[in-house]
Formats: sequence, C-alpha cells, structure tokens
Amino acid sequence: MTRTARFNPGWYLVAPLLVLVAVMFAGPLANILWLSFTDPEPGLTNYAALIEKDSLRRLVWTTVHICLITTALSVILGYSIAYAMANVAEVARQRMMLFILISFWISVLVRTFSWMMLLGRKGLVNNGLIELGLISEPIPFVRNELGVLIGMVHYMIPYAVLPILVAMLGIDGRVLQASRNLGASPAQTFWRVYLPLTKPGIIAGALLVFILSLGFYVTPAIMGGGKVLMIAEYISVQVLITLKWGTAAMLAMLMLGSVLGLLYVLSRFMKLSEALGGGRT
Amino acid sequence: MQDKQFMRETVTEAAHAFRAGRMDRRSFLALCGMAGVALPSVLAGRAEAAAGEIVMWNWGGQSEECHGSAIGSPFTAETGIPLKFDTSGPLQGKIKEMVDSGNVTADVCDGDLFDAVALGATGHLEPIDYAVVSKDKTLPGYALEHGVSIILYGYAFMYDTEAYKDAPPTSWADFFDTAKFPGQRSLYKWANGSLEAALMADGVAKDALYPIDLDRALAKVKAIKDSTIYWGSGSEAHDMIVNGEVSMGMVWQNRGRNIEQETNGRYKMVMNGAIAMPGAYIVPKGNPGGREAAMKFIAVSQSVDAQLGLFSCLGMTPTNSEAVAKISAEDAPYAITSEANMAVIALNDPTWWGQNTDAAVNAFLEAIS
Repeated sequence: MTRTARFNPGWYLVAPLLVLVAVMFAGPLANILWLSFTDPEPGLTNYAALIEKDSLRRLVWTTVHICLITTALSVILGYSIAYAMANVAEVARQRMMLFILISFWISVLVRTFSWMMLLGRKGLVNNGLIELGLISEPIPFVRNELGVLIGMVHYMIPYAVLPILVAMLGIDGRVLQASRNLGASPAQTFWRVYLPLTKPGIIAGALLVFILSLGFYVTPAIMGGGKVLMIAEYISVQVLITLKWGTAAMLAMLMLGSVLGLLYVLSRFMKLSEALGGGRT
Repeated sequence: MQDKQFMRETVTEAAHAFRAGRMDRRSFLALCGMAGVALPSVLAGRAEAAAGEIVMWNWGGQSEECHGSAIGSPFTAETGIPLKFDTSGPLQGKIKEMVDSGNVTADVCDGDLFDAVALGATGHLEPIDYAVVSKDKTLPGYALEHGVSIILYGYAFMYDTEAYKDAPPTSWADFFDTAKFPGQRSLYKWANGSLEAALMADGVAKDALYPIDLDRALAKVKAIKDSTIYWGSGSEAHDMIVNGEVSMGMVWQNRGRNIEQETNGRYKMVMNGAIAMPGAYIVPKGNPGGREAAMKFIAVSQSVDAQLGLFSCLGMTPTNSEAVAKISAEDAPYAITSEANMAVIALNDPTWWGQNTDAAVNAFLEAIS
C-alpha cells in the first residue's frame, strides 16, 4: 500500500527515455560484448591476444602513456589558468571564460588543421624562426608524438579548467587569511591549505581529461603522421578495413571497462555527482 | 538473419511487381506490413523506391558529379532508372555491416577488386552476371566472380623538383634511398601499395611481387621510418606535398596530374614502378534495386564513352582497352595502363589482398607505429 503511494508518477515521463536508452544503447552494447567473445570463434581468444600479442600490448601502452602525459599537462596548465580566473575581477573572469568556451566549442578537426598550419614544416612558426635566423632546419613539431600531445592538451585544457575553477571559487577566502594569520608563509598556505581544498576539482578534471583522451581519434591520426597509433584509430581500422570485429569489440570493451573502473575508483573517494558536476553547491 | 533476408527478398520482389503495375498499392503495403521487418524501410520509402532507382555508394567529392555525368546520364537514358548516391564511402566493414543487418540500401559500390575477393568469399556480394557485363572490357584477371574492375587508379610518387634539381629520383629504389636523396617521405598508412613499393625498391621484379614477402617489405619500410610520415586519405597525401611537408610523397596516381598543375610543375610524378589498382563495382547481397538493374548499370559503365568520361573527370584510367586506345597522346602519360606505362608499372593482385588484408595491414601498422 505504502509502496504504491510512494511511486512517483514522474517515472511515467521518464519511462520512454529509459526504454529508448535500453534499446538504443544497452542493446548494441550487449551485441558488442557478445561479438568480443564469439568472433571469429567462441571463447576468450580475443582477450588472450591482449596478453599474447606484443602489438596489442604496445597499442594499449601507447594510448595510456599519451593519455597520462596529456592529463598531467592539461591539469597543470588548467590549474594555473583557473587560478588566474579565480583571482581576477568578475568582468575579467567572464571575459576569460568566454575565451575558454570559444575554444571549447571549436571542432577538433578545425583545431587540428590550424595546428598543422601553424607548426608544420613550412608553417608560420617554423618559417618565422627560419626568417629570423634562429634555426636552419624546421623543427618537427607535428607528425610525431609531440604533435599529438600539443593537439590533445590544447583540446583538453577547458575540460580541466572548468571543474578546477568551480572548486577554487567555492573556497572561502577567510580560510587563507586565517592560515596567513596563524603564521604560514604564502607558499605554505598554498601547498597546505589552498591545494588540498582544490583537490576534488583536480581529481575531477584529471579524470575527465583522461577518460576523454582515451577515445581520441582525429588528433593522433593526423598530427601523429601515422606513427602514433591509439586504440580508437586501431578499432576503426579493425572494423572497416581488416574486418577483425572480434578484436575491435574486445578493445571497445576494454576501453569501456577502464572508464567504468576509473569512475568506480573515483566514487570511492567522492560523490560522483559532485565530481562530474564540479564541486558542491 | 535468414528470415530477415527472405522477408527482404519478398518485399523487394513485390516492389518490382508494384512498379511494373502487377500489384496494387494496397496489396503491396499490406505485404510490407506482413513482412514486418521491412516496416522501417517502407516508412523510409526504401522498399517502394527500390524498384525505381539505383543507389551508387561512392566516396563523395567530385565522384558524385563524375559518376552522374559519365555513367548516370547514359544509364538513365537507356533504362529510365534514375541514379542516386550515397557518398559515405563503401569500406569493406561498412558493406559487411549493411548486408549483415539485413537493411541493404546501396546497389553498386565503388570499391576495390580485393573487396570483391574478401566479401565474395563470405557471401556478402551478388555474383556478377557475365551475360550482361563483359569480361572483355576489362583487363585479363580483373573480371572476378563477385566484382569486375571498371577503372584503374593506383599509387605513384611525386618529388620536389627544387630539392632534387640535377639528379631527380626515378624509381622506388631512389625513394627508399635516404642517403642519396635526403628529405621527408610519405607513404600510404594502410599498407596497400606501400608494401609493393618497398619490395620493388628492394629489387623484386614488378611482376614477381606476389605473394608479398611481408618481412622483407616491412624491413625496407622500417629502414626509412625516421624520414617517413604516413597518410590515410587522398587529401592528406595531397596536403603533405603541396604544403611542403615532404620532398617525395606517394599519392593516388589519378591525382598526380592535379598536383603537378596546382604547383606549376614544382612537384613531378614518377610513373616508373607505379602500382595499378583495379577499382571495381560490386553489388551487396540483396541490393534493393535488384541484381538485374545493378548489372545493367555496370555494363553501361564499361562503355567507351563512360570510361573516357571518368578518365577526364576523375583521372581514373579506363579498363576497356578500346577506351584506352582513344586517349590522346597528351593525356596518355597519365593513363596508368597506356602503352608506354604498361612496360614500367606493376599490377595489383586483388586475390592476394583479398585474402591477406588483415595480416598485411596490422603488420604494417605495427611496423610504423
């Protein structure tokens, strides 16, 4: 009786969406999971290949390694940008926010090609440096791992800035004054008070950046010059060109599993809604 | 899967009957309703449209216009069937997915002959009807059970005339010789063509490339890895050259002439050792427009006029020898199978690639990454 009374009729409104998600999302996902165990033959062969094959291990390592560096650089750069934004007047902050959002909205393809024009062998930067006589041979900024990192970090910085900024804006300024008042130096105040208080923002930002980096496709494909092969591109090749759908499904599952695992780890430390929503309200 | 296929065939048959006036609209829709699975396609108007058009699945860009004028116009004039396009690129995986899902929306794919070997073996393609399509209007060995080569494209390399003024490179051996010819190179990322080029550079004769010795080819590719970047699409290959990223770059042979013109002759194409690729028209199993119409379409595309139209529009070389004979002396150097070029080019073996693409591509990716 009480159960029926507690049933929120709002669910009726949500139900179509839930059904849609179940059919359009869970269904295909289950299909991919199924493929990963059955194509080309039933069993664990696709997953075993992950351990047995050097090429796959190297692929996973390249992806993780690029994502880790991207995450570290994005968070460090994002932190300093967020710090600046948190400590300027409201008008200036809004202006800075506008710039962040503009770069946030520009498509990844456009950015990638812009970087190629700027940093290519005959790009603006190399030509400029050669004209100035600073270098004689163009610096290989792109079509290598450095290029991939430049492109990815640039894309990811806004994702790091936003949660960190929210955490910073939530800090009560009086806490810092109290710290100074109690005899801590500015550096001590930063390391022992400010930084720990922004930790939720840092973790949320880092996690967001890492998860999004895992699925990067366009930037490594173009700016890596074919030499930096990450999982997303490899999956696309296995689906479209080599028809190794089992391998592709296995890697897709591996990626999904890692993301869910990371979210689980995070949930042990903080409320997910808080991390992904960016701080408390 | 099997019943889906059956339902689809039933509805497609009915669509033919409907169009021919043998069945009224209400019965047709009722049948579609009974078939159930076909409901979405009926809603989208596909099954009904099925009997009335041919959908060509190609790669977009200029090809839509070129295929339309060179093949579409004569085909429609002859049969009354309009030609439509899907320009999303018929990669093997997409064709397989389309047929497996039971919702086939394309009739003729602008694919590769090696796709015909790979997908034909797994039952994803309609066999070519050689009563309608001519085996004589293509190259020997390029009329296979599930695909026939209509045009040839290929791989060749271009070099910067300013970088190599006095002694320009003339062969793949020069391309792979970074000591004698310093500078950046570019190769195709998905192995095709790049492996053949490496073998020729290593001294393998152009008619003894297959079966490809993967280890030997990859060793050669790895040897110049530090000075090589890799492209995945024709436009990327084009950009690498015109933006001065490379001093020598592999390109789609049919695009070479454009690059020469665009750079006012600064970059020049080398046809010696070019690898001719048989581009083939293939028909997905259970195509909505019916096998008969698709075959008719392929037959029209073999005609001399259609072939010459594709050559002038896309730079792709005719497979019909009669059409090749009509190419002017000025254009002949850019036709990959012109008499002069035939002596120096290699011909791709679609059977080897159809059977070994997965191993070759993955080994190549492992070698370059």
